[in-house]
Formats: sequence, structure tokens, C-alpha cells
Amino acid sequence: MELNILIAGVGGQGNLFASSILAEYLLKKGHKVLAVETIGAAQRGGSVVSHLRVSDAEIYSPLIPAGKVDILMGFETIEMLRNFELLAGDGIYLLNDYKEPTVLCNMEMDTYPSDEEIRAALEKSGKKGYTIKATECARQIGGSLLTNVVMVGALCQISPLFDSQEVKRVLAGKSPAKVKEQNRQAFDAGGSLIQEAMR
Amino acid sequence: MAEKEYLMGNEAMGRGAIEAGVKVVAGYPGTPASEVLEYVSKYPDVHAEWCINEKVALETCMGASLCNTRSLAVMKHNGTNVALDFIMHLNYTGVRGGLVLISGDDPGGISSQNEEDSRIITRLDAHLPVFDPWCPQEAKDMVKTAFELSEETELCFVVRPVMRVCHARNTVSMEDIKEAKEPHFEDDRSRFIMSAVKEVKAGGTLRPVVRHRWLNEKQPVLAKIMEDSPFNHIEDGEGKIGMVTCGIGYAFVKEAEKILDKKFPVLKLGTLPLPKNKVLQFASKMDKLVVYEDSEAVVEGILKQFFYDEGVKVEVVGRSGFLPREGELSTTIVLKSLAALYPELEKQIPKTVPLEMKVPIRTRTQCVGCQYRGLLHALKLAAHKYKGVVTGDIGCYDAGSFPPLELQSTIYCMGSSIPMASGIAHSGYDRPVFAIIGDSTFFHNGVLGLLNAIHSGVDMVAIVCDNRTTAMTGFQPHPGSDIDVHGEPTLAIDVARLATTAGAASARVVNPYDIPQVKEALEKAVKEKGVSVIVATEPCYLVSRRTGELGFTPRKVVLDPELCNGCKICVTFFGCPSIHFGDGKATIDYGTCVECGMCVEVCPRGAITWS
Repeated sequence: MELNILIAGVGGQGNLFASSILAEYLLKKGHKVLAVETIGAAQRGGSVVSHLRVSDAEIYSPLIPAGKVDILMGFETIEMLRNFELLAGDGIYLLNDYKEPTVLCNMEMDTYPSDEEIRAALEKSGKKGYTIKATECARQIGGSLLTNVVMVGALCQISPLFDSQEVKRVLAGKSPAKVKEQNRQAFDAGGSLIQEAMR
Repeated sequence: MAEKEYLMGNEAMGRGAIEAGVKVVAGYPGTPASEVLEYVSKYPDVHAEWCINEKVALETCMGASLCNTRSLAVMKHNGTNVALDFIMHLNYTGVRGGLVLISGDDPGGISSQNEEDSRIITRLDAHLPVFDPWCPQEAKDMVKTAFELSEETELCFVVRPVMRVCHARNTVSMEDIKEAKEPHFEDDRSRFIMSAVKEVKAGGTLRPVVRHRWLNEKQPVLAKIMEDSPFNHIEDGEGKIGMVTCGIGYAFVKEAEKILDKKFPVLKLGTLPLPKNKVLQFASKMDKLVVYEDSEAVVEGILKQFFYDEGVKVEVVGRSGFLPREGELSTTIVLKSLAALYPELEKQIPKTVPLEMKVPIRTRTQCVGCQYRGLLHALKLAAHKYKGVVTGDIGCYDAGSFPPLELQSTIYCMGSSIPMASGIAHSGYDRPVFAIIGDSTFFHNGVLGLLNAIHSGVDMVAIVCDNRTTAMTGFQPHPGSDIDVHGEPTLAIDVARLATTAGAASARVVNPYDIPQVKEALEKAVKEKGVSVIVATEPCYLVSRRTGELGFTPRKVVLDPELCNGCKICVTFFGCPSIHFGDGKATIDYGTCVECGMCVEVCPRGAITWS
């Protein structure tokens, strides 16, 4: 068994928290886990990528080799597209339909790709994947900061490696008291969103 | 104990030092190594300190070492350059209590101004022993071993992890903490006074030569230690091409073996000096060696020297051209190189298909709500008006040099802004010159540039961005902060008072959110003779948002599309990510706006107003 998950988003989306929940759960189950984040010199709003590797055999490289990503989680649209090439042939993507335009796009100095362009490129890639509105859902529950938890909830439904109830327990253990209930709701909402998307 | 914990490489190294009984840990923050010191600061019996710069940190550690106390210095590769002067003397005197220097490298320059390989200055220049770990567990083991060997050999040991080791998270064994020795000081002037004096005991030879000889005599001792080191080993495999891996190179080669389901002959190296006999033993069965190392061809060069000296005929290739000469190693680079050696492997390399679309890049910019955006705006107006030149420095505010602002004309290393501005002015170039530098950077190395500029009689403006923290690397305190690494109150050094005392023409303290105030200060400063200092003081927005002590009163702003004439000043002279531009008009993105209201001042037509 080996599973490689790449989480691509922008600074402030709680990329690291999502990775740490999954890692803690996987370690509890007795798997080997190796993870790394690429943050660069980013403050809020820069690209952030988390590599999470799980296996029962030895894992060596903390970075997932190109073409070996099994699940590509995009917390932000172009951040997922930027890393799309790393997906394995049979890898799947899980995209949060949320766009954070770049400063240059905002200022008409660059162009954020249109929905049609994105859809066409994804279709042409032939890769399987799901798109959910996790940030929109997070905002309804309590704020966009819950996006990561919605996405983790969704992931647990598409990968048999994760037991939703157990991951939820880990999440509760790592959540500060005041957001525990919101996190629980966000997690469940993620599960429902993906089930709708899979239908 | 022998429990296991899921730790980041930096934390694992911190834990290694704690287990080794470290008592003094000093450093200067810098990605990728900052978390080492943050981790050890949680142990109350350890003195952990963010120093003014890396040289001071290493000197602090050496002081502790003189008292038989184990000490750890932590820095990134650029910082090791700053400490180099001290390193080049420390290597001659040696140490007493174990002294370990962690120098975090950033191959690929992911979070740095360059991608230099600090093995070159620490090993090839200073002749210190260096450990190069491949994973967090080995990094921890190496730090622990380094302390033992440092005392055994009386030499400072360097541990050089690359970013992917510093930041990797993995399960690491926890062991018991060693008891620290009682501090004790004893003079040994023939050793610890480094000066050009004649040594009577050495027949009148000058001390630098005597101590240099001492360092050289340590090399065979080190070579013997490394011969038996657990950090070097040989793995058997198919073929006559040997894979020599150094540090993280081992991770990528082993990963490639897994993907290809092959086993190559591997010489895994983690030490400098190299285990020469092991190298010769490995090479004797090979026709060719490929050296995988980050990032310069250091080991490759040493191997070639070995084989030349020993008359061994084996081809050695690596980062000198067979592998890419720049950037960080990766599994993909290793796979491609293996396919070049064994073409039949090509088909086993995982296929990647680029997405058929252009994905916009994210340039770095100030956070929404950052007070420096107001300062940069006012400075750009002044620079534009007077056709001045702005030199830049390292820190958050350096984002003003990228589009859309494109304000600063230079960025080099910590503290370069003021001396470079001074040089531009002394060249006779007849325009105002501004230097912009952050507070942590100012203390680190900028203050000397300022004193020098004042003394040189130059006319220039120096702007210090004082947000009370080292924001870029994760909010570490510096000498201008009123708290230490534990959050305990401490003396803060006042930049404006320091500048005034030094003889600056003026030292104006402004609130960077108050754009008219900054503009006025710049107008006055640019007309003065001498060095005018402007200190833009306001805690980092990300910190003040957390503490609830914002530097502005949040109020909604509105943009009147009728008044907006599409001049784009709010874009090219301000560039707030919450101001969008399209169809010839600006709009406010209320989803991300934090209501700092600075944009009200920015729009010359008054199209943006308080709601």
C-alpha cells in the first residue's frame, strides 16, 4: 500500500492543518508517514503545497515524485492546475471550486483562466476528479477558514484508506474548543458535498 | 525512553541537541532552519536566544563552549556567510564544550536570495567536519553524534541539512536527555588569543601558523572517525555504475530504485571528510560513479582528487554537468539521469502530461492590511516626483520591488540597502537616493551601514520599516522587540534614538498607515543635508490582528465608479490585492478587504471614500 496526497492552496487556507489531521490519523493506524510543505517566501496569499506520503514500506523522498500523486487536493483552482502535471496516470483530483485571483490578474496585468478554459483543459487531461464548492459551504457554516476541514471530509469519502468517524475523532482532538462544533459540521458537509458530486 | 514522535526535521535536530545536553542555543531566524531554536526554547533549562545576527550567535555559543558547556548555533546558509569571519578563527582555536553549527541550505533558492552550498565555506574553506543528513531521523542522530565528536576532537561540527530535510515531517525516536556538565572556565591564552605573536614553544613560529598546523593535524583524526561512521555505508546492486549519494541525494536515489524496482550499487555518504577507504573500496568494482548532491559538485571534486592521487581509473560525473548544475535535486532528475545511463529504463519513468493551459503565477505582495503598503505608496510617489533611486533589503517590504509597484531597484543581502544607496550618492549621480530596510535587517547588519553613511557625509534618506518583529520568517523577536523568544519582556532598542545619537540629520517617526504623514516626512527628508532617517513604526498587521490592537479603525470604504477615471494609481502605486481592476474601472473586493482605509488617501480623484 502506498498513497500520495498533494494539497495545493494559498497561504492562510489551512493547508498544514489538513495535512496534520490526515498524518495523525494515518500514524495512529500504524502506517509510515512522510510529509513536507513548500511555502517559499510566501506570506498570506502565496502558493503553499503540502506533500503527504503514506506507505507500509519505507518512504524515502519527502517530495512526491512527478507522476506519482494519487490524490491531488486543490484548495484553490489555479494552485491545483499548477500542480496538475504531478498526477499519476490513474490519479484523481479533488477541486474546491474557489478562485483567489493573483494580484496581477486583479490588475489586468495577467489573466485568470476562465471556467470554460479550465473545464476544457481538465477534460482533455482525461483525469478523473471531483469538483465541490468547499469554500462556499465553509462560509455558510462559519467562515472560509473551514475550507480545509470541508475538503478533508470530502477526501475521506473518496479514499478507502480513511475512516470518516476515526478521522473526525482526530479532528476533534486537534480542534480548539470554540471551533470544535464548526469543524465537525464542516467535516460532515464535505462528506455530503462529495457524495452529491459522485452521484 | 525510546518512544517515537512525529516531528519536523528542524524539531528533530532541536531534540537531538536537547538529548545531547545542550545548554546554550543561539541563532538568527532564516528559512529553512528557524524551527530548531523555537523547538529548544520550550525547554526551560536551556538558554535559547535569537541574536542580532549569526556572527554574534556563533560567538555567543563559543563563549559557552569555553566554559565546557554544550552549545548550538542555528542559521541559514546566508547567515553562515555572516558568521564566516568567526568560523575562520574558531577552526584554529577549536572548542571545549561541544559546539555544533546547523547551517540550513536552500538548494533551488525557494526562500532565499541565492542557492549557495554552505559545505563549501564550512568544509573546503574552514576545514571543519560537516554532516549532511538525508532525513529527519538521521539529522537528529547527526546532531547528537556531532556534540560527542566535537568534544572528542575539540572541533566545531557543522550539520548542513537542506530545506527538504529541515521541513520534512517523519517519525523520530526519542531518547533520554543527557545531563549537562557544570560550567568551568580556565585560561589557555596560547589557544584562545588569536594573534600574530611568536610562539616560544614552537621555536618562534607565528601563532596563526601553529594553529593552522593544529587544524591540519586534526584532518587524519577526522578521516579515521568518518571511516567508521554509521552515516556512510555501501549497498550492493546490479551493474558497474555506482550511485554516490550525499545527504538528501540518498532519498531521491532510493525513491528512484523503488519506482524502477531495481537495486543499484549505492555508496551512501553523510560526512565530510569522506571515508576514503570506503570510497576506494566501492570505486574498485565500478567503471563509473554518479554523484548525487545538493547543490554544487563538492563531493564530486573530492572524489576526483582521491582517484587522481591513488591512480584509480574510474569516471566520475555529477553536478559538474552530467546532472543539472543549478536547482535542487529531485527523484525526477535522478530517474532521468538513470535513463540516460540505462536507456531501457526510460519507459519505467512515470509519465507526466502538462495541462494545456497557461497558469498565472503569484508574485509576492504585502498582505491585505499591511501597513507597509501605505509606506511603499508614499515612497513611490516621492521617488517618482524626484526621479530618485530606491535601494532595497531583505524582508516583507521587499515585495515592493515586484510588479505592480516595482519600487526598489536593488536587493542583495542583509543590510546592503544603506551602503549601496550611499555609494550611488557618492558616485555623483544627481538624484535623491532612498534606502528601505526592515527593523530586524537593520539590527542584523544595517546599523553599521547607517553609521558608515552618516560618517561619510552622504546626503540620503534611510527608511526603517519597524514592525517590531522578524515577520518574514515567522515573527521572531529582534533587538527592537520588547519581548524575547519566550514572550518575556526585555529591553527594546529604539531605532530613532539610535540614529539621532549617531548624528543622523533627522530621525522622524511616522505611522505607515498615515500616508499624509509619511509623505510629509519624505518631503522634508529629501531636502535635508546628511542622512535623514524615517522610522515607520507600527506592529505587523498579522500580529496586531491577533492581539486585537489594530493600527487603524476598521471602516468600510466605497468606490464611486462615476468618479473613477481608470488612472490605475491604486494599482501601480499601491497594489492592494483587494482592489480589482477591469473594464477601465477599479472595484473593491469586500471578500478580502480588511477596512484599513489606506486606499482613501491613494485615489487622487477622491473616488474611494469612507462609507
